Amino acid sequence: MKRKILLCLSLLAMMMTGCVDQINVEDVTLSLILGLDLDEDDHLVVYMSSPVFNKEAKVKEEKVEVKAVTIRDSRELFDMTVMALTSGSKTQLILVGKKLLKRKNWIDYIDPFFRDPKNTVTTRVVAIDGPVSDVIFFRPKDKPRLPLYLTNLVETDYRRNITVKTTIQEFRKQTMEKGMTASITEMKKDHKIMLTGTALLDEQSRYKLSIKPHENKLLRILQHKTKGDFPFTISVPLESNGRDKYWISFSTPNVKVKTKVRYDGHFIFDTDVKMRIAITERLFPFNVRKDTAKLQKSIETKLQADFERLIKKTQTATIDPFGYGIYARAYTYPEWKKVQNQWGKAFSKADLNVKVHVTIGGMGTIK
Amino acid sequence: MKKYAYNEITLMQYIFLINGAQVATGVLALPRILAEKAGTDGWIAIPIGWFFSVVASIFLVKTAERYPDDTLFEILIRLFGKIVGKVAIIVYMVYFAFYAWIIFVNGSLYIKAWFLPKTPSYIILLLFSIPTFFVARNGIRVLGRYSELSFYMVIWIPLFFLIPLRDGTWLHLLPILKEGWKPVLSAVPTTVFSFLGFEVAFFLYPFLQKKQHAVLGITIANTLTMLFYVFVTIVCFVYFSPDGIIDFNQPVLYLLKLIEFRFLERFDMVILAVYLIVVSTAWMPCVYLATFCSSQLLGKQDHSQHVIILLLIIIGLVFWREPTWNESEKFQQMFVKGGLQLAFVAPPFLWIYSWIYEKLRRRVRH
Repeated sequence: MKRKILLCLSLLAMMMTGCVDQINVEDVTLSLILGLDLDEDDHLVVYMSSPVFNKEAKVKEEKVEVKAVTIRDSRELFDMTVMALTSGSKTQLILVGKKLLKRKNWIDYIDPFFRDPKNTVTTRVVAIDGPVSDVIFFRPKDKPRLPLYLTNLVETDYRRNITVKTTIQEFRKQTMEKGMTASITEMKKDHKIMLTGTALLDEQSRYKLSIKPHENKLLRILQHKTKGDFPFTISVPLESNGRDKYWISFSTPNVKVKTKVRYDGHFIFDTDVKMRIAITERLFPFNVRKDTAKLQKSIETKLQADFERLIKKTQTATIDPFGYGIYARAYTYPEWKKVQNQWGKAFSKADLNVKVHVTIGGMGTIK
Repeated sequence: MKKYAYNEITLMQYIFLINGAQVATGVLALPRILAEKAGTDGWIAIPIGWFFSVVASIFLVKTAERYPDDTLFEILIRLFGKIVGKVAIIVYMVYFAFYAWIIFVNGSLYIKAWFLPKTPSYIILLLFSIPTFFVARNGIRVLGRYSELSFYMVIWIPLFFLIPLRDGTWLHLLPILKEGWKPVLSAVPTTVFSFLGFEVAFFLYPFLQKKQHAVLGITIANTLTMLFYVFVTIVCFVYFSPDGIIDFNQPVLYLLKLIEFRFLERFDMVILAVYLIVVSTAWMPCVYLATFCSSQLLGKQDHSQHVIILLLIIIGLVFWREPTWNESEKFQQMFVKGGLQLAFVAPPFLWIYSWIYEKLRRRVRH
C-alpha cells in the first residue's frame, strides 16, 4: 500500500514538472538568423529572421530590425513587435556586417551565446560585405526561406572548401587562441546573394582581408584541415614564357600536410604538401602517360606560387589564419613564449617554405 | 559467525560502489581548474593524485583487515573507547551528510542552469530523493547492485567524447612539461581531492565476500576513476585551445554542446540527464552511510527513518537557503578540507595506531 502511494506520488511529481513551464511552438519566435551591424551613426543594429507558424499569415517569415545596446537588449525590442517570445536556442546563422567587423571589441557583443546555456553554440558566423539589411530583407523567389537557404549554402560550400565553416564555438576558440587568427565565411548581396569566400580577421578579431574560394582551399590545406573535396582549376605554366593558358582541373582525393618548425633568429616553417590528384578536365592536348613528370612539375610550380602569394598576403596583414603559432608553441616553446602576445608581428617576419608534391593518380577515362 | 552475511557484496559491486562515490559533478569543471593551474600539462597531475589516493586506500584496507568483521563504527569504538569513538563517528556522519548535501546541491544547480531554469531547487531535490530513498533505505547489497547496474548503463557516455576529437589539435598538449614540474605539482592537491569518496571503503570492507581481493578492488576503482578523469581532461585540452579553456566554467558540458546530429541538437542536455545517474551513485552511498552512522549511534537496526529525516533536512535547507553557485563552491572548499583529514590523514593514522594498540594489548595479555 505504502509503495503504491509513493509510486503514484512520484508519477504525479514527474508529470507535473512538464505542466509548469510548457511552451507551445506558436508562442516561440525562433530567431534562426541574427544579424549585427552598425548604422550611419555607429549605433548597433540587430536584425532577426524567424519562421511564423500560422495558417493565416501570407508570408511565413518575420524579419525585424531594431536599434539596441546589446543582443540581449534587442530581444526585448523584438518581443515588442514579433508574434511570440524570441528565443535564440535554434539560431543557425549570425551575420556580421563589415562595418561592425572593423570596429574594435565587437566580439564582446556575442557574449550571450556562450553565457546563456539555452543558446546553441553551433551557430555559423558569417561576415557580410555591405549592409546586413540587404541580405536579411532579401526574398528570393526561387529559394526556400532565407535561414534554410543560407544555412544550406554555407554547409554545402564548406564541403567543397569554397569557404570555411566557423561555428560560434570554433570562432571563440580561434579568437582566444594566441597562435591563430580567426577566419569566417563571407557573403555579399548584389542582385542575389553570393558566397564570396572567406574573411580573415586579425588578433583583435577585426576584419583584415578577404580571400577567394581558390585561396580558401589553400588556406584549409595549410590549416591541416584536409577533409572534404579540394577541386582545383588552374592554368599550368607548361612553357616557360608562353602566353597560352593551359587550363586543367583535378580533384584531390588525398592530401597530406606536414609542418616542421625551427627557430634561427626568426621562426622558420617548412610545410610539405603531398597530393594525389585525379584529372577531371584538360583543355589542351598532352600525353599524360609519357610526360607525367612534366605535368606534375608544372602543377607543383603553379600551386607553390599560389601558396606563396597567399602567405605573403597574410604576412603583410600580420595575421596567421593557418595556426602556425600552434606549431611554434608545440615545438619551440621558449621562443614562442617571448612573442606569444604579438604573434602576428613575429609571424610576419617568419620564413614559410611550402613544398608541394603532386602525384597524378589518374588521368580520367579518356586519354 | 559472520555478522553481515545477509548483506554481502561481490568484488564488482565493491569496485563500482567506490568508483561511483568518487565520480560526481567535480569532473565537469576539473579540466578548467587544472588548466588554470598548470596549463595543458594539468593532466599529468591526475596520475600523481591517483598515486596518493591509492596509497591512502591501501592503508585504509590494511587497517580494516585487522578487524575483518567490523565496520568503522566498531573499529573506532574498539580503538578509542566509547566516548572518543562515538565523537569520531559523529564526525564521519556529518562528513557524509555534508558530502551528500553538496552533491545534491550541485546536481540541482546543474539541472537548473541547463534545463529546468524555472523549477525551484527543492522540487528538483524532491524528485532526486524519491529514488534515493528507495535505494538507500536498503542495505549495502542493494546499493552495490545499483552502482554496478548504473555503471553498465552509462559506460557508453565516454564514447561521445570521441566525437569532438575530430576537430581537436593534439599539438595543444606539446611541449610536455613546458614550464617544468612546478605548476604540475601545484595542481596535485586539486586532483587529490577529486579522488575523494574512496573512504566509503571503510564501511564496505566487512561486507565484502572475498576479502583477499580488497586491495586489488580499491586499486581498480581508483584506476577507473583516474582513467576517466585523464580521458576527459585530455579530450578537453585537445579540443579547446589552451588560452580558451579557462573561460568555461564547465568545459566538459561545453564540449558536449558541440555534438550535433541531423536528428538531434543540444546533445549536452541528453548527456547531462543521463549523467545524473552517475552523480546519483555518489550521493546514494553517502546518504546511506550518514544514516547508517546515525542509526548505529542510536543503537537502532533499521535506518530507513533516518534516510527520510536526512532527505527532509536537505530539502528543507535548500528550500530555506536556495544555495547559489558561489556558495556551492564555498561548500566544496570546506568539504575538501575535511576530506583531506578523513580520507588521506585518517587511514595511515588509524593503521599506525591500531598496530601500536595491538602490540600493547598482546603485551598486556602475556
